[in-house]
Formats: sequence, C-alpha cells, structure tokens
Amino acid sequence: MIARRSGLVRFHHKWWGLIFVLPVVLFFAAFNLFPTLFGLWLSFTDYDLLSPPIWVGLDNFANLFADRLFQQAFVNTLVFVLGATLPVWVLSLLAALVFDQAFRGRDVLKAVFFLPVLPPVVVIAVVWRLLLHPNGVLTSLTGGWWGITEIRWLADAALAPFSLIAVHDWAIIPFFMIIWLAGLAAIPPEFREAAAIDGAGAAAILWHIDLPQLRSTAVLVAALSSINAFQTFALQYVLPSDPGGPANSTLVLGLLVLKYGFQYFRMGDAAAVSVVMFALIMAVTVLQLWFNRRA
Amino acid sequence: MRILICLATFIGLVAWTGFADAEQITVRMWLHEHPPRVPIDKSIIAQFEKANPDIKVQYDVISAPEYSTKLLTAFAAGSGPDLFNNTSTLVTQYFAARILAPIDYDALAFANEAALLAKFQGGFDGIRFQGKLYGIPTEVSNWACFANNSLWKEAGLDPKKDWPKTWEDLPAIAEKLTKRDQNGVPVRRGFDFAWTIPGTFWFTPNTMIHQLGSNMVNEDTYKATLDTAPSRRAFQYLQDWAGKYRLGGPQYTASRTDFLAGKLAAECSFGIWGIPQMRTANIDWTVMPAPRWADATSDNGLDIYAYYMMVNARAAPTVQKAAWKLARFYTDHAAELFEGAGLFVPRTEVTESAAYKANSAAPFFLAELKKAKFSPRVVGYSQVLDAILRGRDKLVQGEKIEDVLLIMNEEVNAVMNRERARATTLVK
Repeated sequence: MIARRSGLVRFHHKWWGLIFVLPVVLFFAAFNLFPTLFGLWLSFTDYDLLSPPIWVGLDNFANLFADRLFQQAFVNTLVFVLGATLPVWVLSLLAALVFDQAFRGRDVLKAVFFLPVLPPVVVIAVVWRLLLHPNGVLTSLTGGWWGITEIRWLADAALAPFSLIAVHDWAIIPFFMIIWLAGLAAIPPEFREAAAIDGAGAAAILWHIDLPQLRSTAVLVAALSSINAFQTFALQYVLPSDPGGPANSTLVLGLLVLKYGFQYFRMGDAAAVSVVMFALIMAVTVLQLWFNRRA
Repeated sequence: MRILICLATFIGLVAWTGFADAEQITVRMWLHEHPPRVPIDKSIIAQFEKANPDIKVQYDVISAPEYSTKLLTAFAAGSGPDLFNNTSTLVTQYFAARILAPIDYDALAFANEAALLAKFQGGFDGIRFQGKLYGIPTEVSNWACFANNSLWKEAGLDPKKDWPKTWEDLPAIAEKLTKRDQNGVPVRRGFDFAWTIPGTFWFTPNTMIHQLGSNMVNEDTYKATLDTAPSRRAFQYLQDWAGKYRLGGPQYTASRTDFLAGKLAAECSFGIWGIPQMRTANIDWTVMPAPRWADATSDNGLDIYAYYMMVNARAAPTVQKAAWKLARFYTDHAAELFEGAGLFVPRTEVTESAAYKANSAAPFFLAELKKAKFSPRVVGYSQVLDAILRGRDKLVQGEKIEDVLLIMNEEVNAVMNRERARATTLVK
C-alpha cells in the first residue's frame, strides 16, 4: 500500500506539472508556434490561395529587394521609425522632467496629458482625419496667419508621412513619459540632495545625476518605441484616404504584408516581408539589449 | 421480445432517415451582403426548397468588404461554396484557377446558349471566357451622372438644358457651379469625380478611353495600353481637373457623400440603385448621361460591371447540377429583385415589370447600358488597379504625365505578366 502511494506521489511529481501546463503549451503551439513556422514556410512558396503552394526557395526574398513597393515601404518604415523614436525619446523625457517637478494642479494636468494614450489607434486616426481635413481646424489654426485656407496634410505625398508621425508622437509621448517618470522616481533623493549641498544647479543635477541614472530607462524607451514604430499599421491604414497613400508615401512594411497577402493574394511575398520585418525588429532588439547590458 | 422489436424498429427508422438524408443534396450558397436583397433571397430559397424537396440550400450572407477575401480563403481551404456571386472585375481569377464551372444548360433547363441569351438584353460579356459562359447575371450596373436640381437652380442653371454634352464643356459648367473662398479654394464643389472609390479609376478613365476607341488594358493580348494618346488625354483631363482647374480632387470628401449631403451639384458614380438613397436624403435630382469627347469615336457612357451567379467546378457533379437549378430559379426572380432590392438585370420580366415602368430613370439607364462597355477583366485586378491608383496620386501631386503613364504602363504589364504566368489557364 505504502509502495503504491509512493508510486502515485512519483506520478504526481513527474506528470502533474506537465499536465497543468499542457493546455497553455498546446495553445501556444497552435496559435503562436505553428503560425510562425507556417509563415516561415510560406515565405519559400508561391501561393495565391486558389492553387496549391509551389516551392520557390529564396526567390521571394530575392525578388523583394528589386520590388519597388518593398523598397518604398522599407524606406517609409525607416523614416517613420526615426520620426517615431528620436522625437518621442526627447519629448517624453522633457515632459517627464516637467511633471517630476512639484507644482499646483500637476496631477490633473498629468492626467489630461495622458489622455491620448487611452483611445485605440483607430479612434485616434478617425478623429485626426477630421482635424487634418485640407480645409479643417488645423488648417485654420496654422494657415490662418498667412491667409492659407487649404493645406493637404494627408493628400500631399511630401507632407502625409510627417502628419502621420506627428499624430503618432502626440498619442505615444505620454505613455513613454510615464516610463521616464518611473525611472526618475527610482533615483534615490539623497543623490540630488547631496549634489545640491555641493552647490550643483538644476542643469548640473540633470546632467550629472538624473541622466546617468536613467540609462537603462533610456534604453527601454528606445527599444519599446522603435519596436512599436516598426510594427506600425493602423495609423497608415485608417488615416489617409487610401491605406498607405497618397502615392504610397505612407506605405509601411506592416501594411505591405496586408496588401500582398489579402489584396494581391501573394501569400509567399507577404510572408517574406513578415520575415524581413521580424529580422529587422530582432536586430534592433538585440542591439538595444546589448546597449542595456552596457548601461 | 418487445424490447427487441422496439430496438429493431428504432434501428430501422434511423437507417431509413440516414438513407433519406443521403438522397438529399445540400447546395452551399454564398452571396455578398446587400441588406434589401436578403429577405428576398430567403423567400426565393424557401420557394425553391419547397419545389425541390431533394435539395437543401445552406445560405450564407457575407459582408461586402470581406466577401472576396473570405471566398478565396474558403476555396483555399477546400470549403468554398457550391454557388456564389461576385463582380465581373474579379471573376477572371476564379476562371484562371479553374474554379468556375461552365454553364450546364441541361440543369438550367435551356436548350442551349442562344435560348438563355434570348431571355436577356445583354450583360453576359463580363462572364464569357474562351467563348463559353460561366455564370448568370444577377445585377448589371452602369453608373450615370446625377445633378442636384436645387444647387443648379441656385447657380442659375438647369441640368436639362445646361448639362455638358462633352468632357471639354464640363469644366466651364462645373466652375459656374463651384463656390470658392478668397484663395480660390472650392468651399462647395460644382462637379467632381469619385476619386476615393478605387473602382472609379478602373471605370472612369477607361470610359473616356473607350470613347476614343482604345482601352487601358487589352484583355486579349494582356498588354497595358496606358501609354497611348487616348490614355494620355483621359489622364491629362483628370490631372487638369484637380490641378489646373482646381475643381476637385481626392483630398475632398467623397463625391457620393457630398452629393447626398446636398453639398455637391453633380457627380457620376451612382447607379439606378442610388435613387432610393437620394430620396432618403431629400435630393431633388436629374439623371444625365456621362459626357462624351467632342471627337469621340464611340458613343459609350460609363463602363458597366455586373454581378454573376457562378457554380464551383470543384463541387460534386450532382451538387453542381442542383446549384445550376437553384441559379436558374433565383435569377428567374429578377423582377422581384429589382423591385425590392434595386438590382437591375436587362431581361424582359424586369423591363415589363410595374416597378421598372414606375421608375422614371430606368429607361435612361437601359439605353445607356446598351451603349456601355465592360472594363477589361484581368487576373491580378487588385494589383493592376493599385498601380493605376498610384499613378492617379502622382498625377494629382503634379508629376509629369509622360513619366507617370510610362511607369503605370510598366507596372501594369509586370503585374499581368506575372499573374498570367501563374494562372493555369490563358484567359480568353
């Protein structure tokens, strides 16, 4: 009897843990691992959904680099990533430094400033589409001084990418401000007090105390903002009158995957773009992890 | 013993039911969503099932924006419908992938093609491949121009008298109808094209090009003919419209939306189905033909498109027969579909119906339809259209027309070469 019970206990030890995690493992395998591997396999095929996939090896990748749409989407994505990381990094830090100070009404102002983070991107895009109408509110506010009554914020191929970056940054800066604020809160107050006693001014404290202490936060903000920017999709899909338009000036890699896959039904090419995106994001993440380790 | 008898009876009943089920054929029917049509569909299907107890219809309505993608993914998964509809612009891909079954005249209860065509006054050009027909039209739609009578009157014009007969006359009339601010920016447009509806850039320039005796794409040779004199003229016209004359463009609210809001004096992207919407919006309208070029060689109005009922060639032969039978039954209710859902098909039952006779615009639409042409049908339609839309944007940005058309031509040819090479059957 005792031997049988100890056998059960051994079964418990050996299998119960596995049985409990099995549903999650199966879920992960079915909905994460399988689609990822299937996507990778698709990137080596020519598949239009109507006829069986044909193995083409690396052809899809080779063709991508000669493909005008891919080239344009790649450049647009890099421009967007630059516009959605550097200004975000600087402006969210500035906002955090402002809200780190004690002043009257700070909490209310901080809550108001944080509001753009709350609605989904699609809602933001729809609202901004109205604001950015060529004869809309923003045109009246900005162009009114010079008597301009029409600005093609979203219809001008040169202006549209920057309009999208501005909307994106407006919506995301408060989120990163919170991360900076958490980093600032983690700096022991004694450091600043000691520096102040030694005669350091606000600028010196910022430069010699705060910024060095915020190194890992800085890497985190850079990593999160760049990964988020590489994956951008909803804004480019909803804000312009044509997704990725005008003249593909806002076509980014995420949108190109959709276009190739579900508009052109070129599943192999769509999967190849996804793999390139994955590699890009992976490279940026590895680079930033390396910086983080050094920080 | 009693238990044994009961058991035997039960098993017998189950077996009989199973046998009866095995005899019944199920036809899976998919249609895109058009809300006023759905109750009529259900009524037709109920009548069909009553008349054909051996056929069961599994009817699914799929939202219009998702319809084509869902169809393709279902075909890819081998679970595509047996009977389905879609537009003439998209049918080539199904034909190329051998999904379309040629019409089974026997199942349709027509002696031959001539007998079928005798029932209609056109509409089959969009579904003929290599000389064979692959579907029956459920809607044949042509766009026309509509004028808002109040706005015309406000400008001192009468659409019936002043409507421009030529494209060349249109800018001057549109200018009279346009209200501008101090910088010349239109605050209320007089006339504009439906720049933001992608299909417009398949139909509208092609209509203009058709009138000059050419086409954007040659469906027979599978070559783009965008870099030609007629093409240059049509696209130059559209570029001037937005740039030189500043009469409209893609930056403004969609023309249909503004027309229904009473903010646009005229536009050309409504079919006969648009009239109930105008009635709801309290727009007092006049329907007018699309202008022609002064030196047009063809008197065609705006290009047409059609929805067809098609049968999946991958379905079992008995199911295909049942599906064609249902297609015939369904399309024989054309008058009901016109009256209740505004879906026009040029066939006698419709043109002799009370609803047709009560619709003052219907004879006009039919007359224009008879002169109109189908836009080209190609494999890779979405990609070709996208290349044309890129060109549209570049023209609006003010790029040189020669450069834009050259690139458009090159891109469209590249798409068509690639897609035709992939297609298993040569089209036409």
